[in-house]
Amino acid sequence: MDKLARQLRDDALKIDCTISEELDERIRASLQGITPEPVQKPGATARPAWFWWASSLTGVVAATAAIVIINVQAPEPRPVAENPAVTPLVLPTIKWNAETAVLTSPLEQEIEDLQSDLKKAEEAVKQDIDRLF
Amino acid sequence: MSNEVALIAAARKGSVAAFTDLVQSYRPGLFRFLLTRSPSYADAEDALQDTLINAYRYLHSYDARWRFSTWLYRIAINNVAKLRSAETVELGDLRDERSDPLAFCIADSDRQNLWQCARRRLTDEVFTAMWLRYAEDMSVNDISAVLERSASWTKVNLLRGRRILESELGNYANDDKSKAYG
Repeated sequence: MDKLARQLRDDALKIDCTISEELDERIRASLQGITPEPVQKPGATARPAWFWWASSLTGVVAATAAIVIINVQAPEPRPVAENPAVTPLVLPTIKWNAETAVLTSPLEQEIEDLQSDLKKAEEAVKQDIDRLF
Repeated sequence: MSNEVALIAAARKGSVAAFTDLVQSYRPGLFRFLLTRSPSYADAEDALQDTLINAYRYLHSYDARWRFSTWLYRIAINNVAKLRSAETVELGDLRDERSDPLAFCIADSDRQNLWQCARRRLTDEVFTAMWLRYAEDMSVNDISAVLERSASWTKVNLLRGRRILESELGNYANDDKSKAYG
């Protein structure tokens, strides 16, 4: 156990946790007035087998009825509009005066350095976690 | 452990005496934890009472694959959360020592109790993880179960909590040195 862990444990023990007689009595009285909920047996709320058959059958009938209704009341095909007027869309042309950015060698070097620093930091954290827990 | 199983079975059948025996050894630790998490001493007492009542009432839902303490702490944390949402008190902002149960319950010492510092500097979840690890000696897996977090979250946040408290410890040490050398 390291210094911090020892100190945390010792400091926790310094917290006075004496339960007063009054509280003890209060808890006891509350418990007396309660009945624990009964353990639920797995089969207690299960439905009878015929329920699932009836439920499945109802579902199938409902689905069939829905399909039939949809097909019977299928909407007539919409009339196609005759020669809709086509308005030409004119997009304004934009002149871009942009230059391609070129990474100079110091920037590339910096990215590599940062990546290697990140890798080192990740390894250090992993080692710390493995060491502590 | 077998004794605990027998007590749980008896308590499930309605024996208050068995339940009282069952939770007897957990009560001090639980109350300590609630004192650190509640805005007042009275609230901590109420939270303990509610935790034990809920544990007794819903004992049927306890799954024996988990440690009993893990389950008990889960209930306690829920109760504290309810209490906090009702009162909307930020524990980190407690400035008045008269209303702070932790300041009231800590014996006089030459330095500040680290848990007071932890409460000020850490988030609720990280504080709880640190408490379960270092005050209750729970495993990372049990802490993850109590907090409903992954084991890797727990490990990373325990490490984060440690780092923060270590830096605080370093500050105290520097303060002491500067006092000693004027």
